[in-house]
Amino acid sequence: MSRILADVSAFGKMYLRSRVGTFFALAFPIILILLFGAIFSSSGSPQVPLYVQNKDCHPDCTPASLAFVEALNNTTLITYQGIPENAIFQDYIRQHSINVALQIPSGFQETLVSAGSGNASAQVHVLLAGDQTQSSYGIAYSAVAGVANGFNLKIANATKVVDVAQTEFAVRHFSYIDLFLPGIIGFTVLTTPLFGMTSICAEYRTRRFFKLLATTKLSKAQWLAGKIVFHIVLLFVSLGLMVLTGIFVFKMQAVLTPMALVLVATGTLEFTSMGMALGIFVRDPETGAAIANAIGFPMMFLAGSFFPVDAMPSFLQTTARFLPLTYVNEGLRATMTFANDATALVDTLITLAFAIVFFIVAARGLSWKSK
Amino acid sequence: MGPRWSPRRGGNLTAEPVIDVRGLTKHYADIKAVDGISFEVEKGQMFALLGPNGAGKTTTVEILEGLRDPTSGEARVLGVDVRKGYRKIRNRVGVLPQDFEPFDRLKPREAVAYWAKLFDRTLTKEEVAGLIRTVGLADRADTLAMNLSGGEKRRLGIAMSLVGKPKLVFLDEPTTGLDPGARRELWGLIRQLKSEGTTILLTTHYLDEAEQLADDVAIMNHGKIVARGSPANLITQFGAGAVIVLAGAGDAGLQAVSQRGVDAELNGSDVWVRVPIASDMRGMLEKLAAIDTPVTEIYTKRASLEDVFLKVVGARMQEGVLAA
Ligand SMILES: Nc1ncnc2c1ncn2[C@@H]1O[C@H](COP(=O)(O)OP(=O)(O)OP(=O)(O)O)[C@@H](O)[C@H]1O
Ligand SMILES: [Mg+2]
Repeated sequence: MSRILADVSAFGKMYLRSRVGTFFALAFPIILILLFGAIFSSSGSPQVPLYVQNKDCHPDCTPASLAFVEALNNTTLITYQGIPENAIFQDYIRQHSINVALQIPSGFQETLVSAGSGNASAQVHVLLAGDQTQSSYGIAYSAVAGVANGFNLKIANATKVVDVAQTEFAVRHFSYIDLFLPGIIGFTVLTTPLFGMTSICAEYRTRRFFKLLATTKLSKAQWLAGKIVFHIVLLFVSLGLMVLTGIFVFKMQAVLTPMALVLVATGTLEFTSMGMALGIFVRDPETGAAIANAIGFPMMFLAGSFFPVDAMPSFLQTTARFLPLTYVNEGLRATMTFANDATALVDTLITLAFAIVFFIVAARGLSWKSK
Repeated sequence: MGPRWSPRRGGNLTAEPVIDVRGLTKHYADIKAVDGISFEVEKGQMFALLGPNGAGKTTTVEILEGLRDPTSGEARVLGVDVRKGYRKIRNRVGVLPQDFEPFDRLKPREAVAYWAKLFDRTLTKEEVAGLIRTVGLADRADTLAMNLSGGEKRRLGIAMSLVGKPKLVFLDEPTTGLDPGARRELWGLIRQLKSEGTTILLTTHYLDEAEQLADDVAIMNHGKIVARGSPANLITQFGAGAVIVLAGAGDAGLQAVSQRGVDAELNGSDVWVRVPIASDMRGMLEKLAAIDTPVTEIYTKRASLEDVFLKVVGARMQEGVLAA
């Protein structure tokens, strides 16, 4: 035990003195949170700029067309931008690299009036132009369709039968940061120990530190335990900084629960061991970085660090079930955001199972001796 | 060989050598790095493995340190089989690996205290300082190891190898790459260790180092021990004896000496006359003194391991590299 503590303290000194590791463990996650938080949290839901050309003006725009634009603006889904009435619609869109644009045709009001007075064949087309594969198109489409529908109902003199009653479905009121921050914690639990350990294994092998350690009474399992203890301490500090940033900068509602601490510790055990297990194959710094990147990067995206797994195609969702990080992310969101400790406990146990396998592989497979 | 085993097995531990190697081999796909060597090192002895690059010194030493498994043969250290028993003796063995590198971001003071803990010893501040003073690093004790010179790093390595108060120390090329002054200082340190009763196995490709330090030398080449004994014994055994040097005698001197029926050789501008048997020395000196040829100086020189090495390996050695 005192060997492990001595190793933790010496390793900690070296780690903090090198500063690179400290930056990635402590500062980098905060930078990510500030960056992504600023991009996504500021306005609640994103608004799509919608360029509108109103051609129903002779020369003054008709009250009906203005009412249509006003109604669009009220949806809060879009922000109104004007296209001059005399511009050529398609050319203007191309020249100004516009994503979605709407054209209200001349005769808009006239047709409405005619329909209102019982002309069943009266019809008018508003034209929505844009790249249909983009999400901004979808948002603009639903806004326009919604407003058009409202106009139709009004003309038909229908009363509003269906209205959407709003209700909170969770205990807390989320914003983007509440889903994002647990993901960044998972990301840090993955990258700091995994990238750290593979590079340490590379350094220890090329500089023969493993052989040097093999001349002492410290065993491989003790050395590994020391690295795990160190990384858990480091990640707890990092976790504290991240949560404080979330709370004070973004008014995060997600809560740092005891279960989250347990899961972070278990995840750290898991990825420190995984890094050392990969160290079996690491011969030099280049292979070390290559292996860590090849495994770490796909995993952080597929396991839902930056966006939830349910948003991905189903075959990727299946893949995610096999990735150890998935359970860390899922468990952290469950306990921190949704106060669902039962799910988090299952995720923690799965993480622990992965961790034990990696630890055994690492402690057995990594050789300090030379051939 | 056989009978020597039985009394030791009988339990007389004091008589057992600290290192006992029999028929040890280590084969790699393309080379027999160690090719059937046997030797033993008694308690308190300084044993030197002397040989050129690739002779198999490090391979042998690492097998004895429990860091590599031998292909065949037997190796016992402090009474245990190196393959199985190292757990029991780790804290009694100190190791300075070849090309030792310290941890960059620890200061010598921290490194020594840390290393001691890994041998289950907690050193007091005074003990740490004392050990650092012993290896001559007192005024560098608080410098990050990455900023130490090559010789200072090596001293730190020696300090680290000594933290467990070992009975046996392996020093793999402790002075390679150091300047002559630093080498001499390290020799002093190694002698002091020995005087405290520590058994030392040292590898080197410096002949003078082996001659100066070792009680017992094994010359290794191509994985085999080609000569073995104390430096003095080796010199006598290989008949090198002493040499009378006629400094500055040159070609003319060589001719003059040869005309009197004396075997001689030219070494630079000096003429060397070998005297294998010590009792012939006075007669030969008188004979040579009588020759009327210009010399700057006449002196006698004891033959050295260099002569032995040349004889058993068939080549001279410079910095570990054999030259014809
Ligand atoms: N792991 C290995 N795989 C293959 N060959 C090896 C291995 N280790 C050592 N050898 C070879 O075994 C031979 C002996 O090597 P060793 O390191 O023991 O020599 P040495 O006497 O210590 O030399 P030096 O003075 O250069 O340190 C060399 O030819 C070396 O190339
Ligand atoms: Mg060597």
